[in-house]
Amino acid sequence: MSAQPDITLLTAAEVARYARDALQGGSPVVSVLAIEAEDDDSDAVGRRILVCHDRVLGTLGNKIVDNAAIQAARDFLRGGEAAASTTGRETSGIPALYFEAHRPPNTLVIVGAGHIAQPLCRLGATLGYAVTVLDDRPEFATRERFQDATTVRRVDFADPFREIRLGERSHLVLVTRGHKYDYEALRSLLLGREEPAYVGMVGSRRRVRAAFEQLKAEGVPAERLARVHAPIGLDIGAETPAELAVCIAAELIKARRGGSGASLRDRERVVERWITERP
Amino acid sequence: MSEDLKVWSAVAAASEEGRAGVLATIVRAKGSTPRGVGSKLLIDPEVGLVGTIGGGCGEAEVIETAREVLASGVPRMVRVNLTEDLFSWSPAVCGGYFDVFVEAITLHADTDRNSA
Repeated sequence: MSAQPDITLLTAAEVARYARDALQGGSPVVSVLAIEAEDDDSDAVGRRILVCHDRVLGTLGNKIVDNAAIQAARDFLRGGEAAASTTGRETSGIPALYFEAHRPPNTLVIVGAGHIAQPLCRLGATLGYAVTVLDDRPEFATRERFQDATTVRRVDFADPFREIRLGERSHLVLVTRGHKYDYEALRSLLLGREEPAYVGMVGSRRRVRAAFEQLKAEGVPAERLARVHAPIGLDIGAETPAELAVCIAAELIKARRGGSGASLRDRERVVERWITERP
Repeated sequence: MSEDLKVWSAVAAASEEGRAGVLATIVRAKGSTPRGVGSKLLIDPEVGLVGTIGGGCGEAEVIETAREVLASGVPRMVRVNLTEDLFSWSPAVCGGYFDVFVEAITLHADTDRNSA
């Protein structure tokens, strides 16, 4: 193609810098990439736009396409949790567009820095959470014990979240050394206004019931109690601290992605449906 | 660290250090595929591979294309079919297909292509 107007193109490398900042806790941005276009518009392929909350960088080539892309990018960011999506070339003159949202990380807040917390911290970091570990014992809440954590802090369990920002990206796991402390932490959370994405607490059926009855008596609405994952975790027969960490991490994934938690073999029943001979 | 952060950080680092590389992104996926839309692989000739788009033969195909894209500077779409015959023992039997957008990361699209 000949003489293009003087437009500033946005490279993947520049997008990478914005994406890196957003993914590390900055404000969310959406990048738009033109992936397919009509033959006479093939120069558009590979161009990008980056939509930040207060400005837009780059261009796909012309104003009409840009405006459509920017609007779609804003809708995509508002539309929920999805990280990436692609539109086709339904509208003539608009290239097929790939959208990617770059959002700050989900956080995992582990209350209690004991046996379960250590493997759970490692697993959480591997799964992409920014992990915070809290305990009231300075000798347990240490960097050395939690090398994969983003934050390790000594707190009072009666008010453990005072300096922690909780929001819709937060996942809370209450695994302190004593049920009394789990209860206190849960109480301070449920009497507050924050609504984390996930709250889980260890405990036997009896202890969980006692905790819920007491919180109900203190005025916590039943529907808020019903959202608490207690007893915590998926039923995989976990016993050791590492196994319990897997059972909790599995529930975190399930809460985010959906799924039944059942064995895929039992869901698909390949042998029963295809292999076993029928009479 | 999340998978996306790992790859985007590597893209930023490669360009900051003045290296060319190729970014491959799954932009469409249909049926049963190992990784979904948004999965990424950076092919950095010095560092190697960062991230994954599912491994196996699809990834090999994409890496092959990456060489051409790096040489030409022109992005390309690669369709990876995973619908080979079930009993071929090929790894490509997941049952779906995916499209991978392959682009050079130091590309300034128009200037590079026009000067070619």
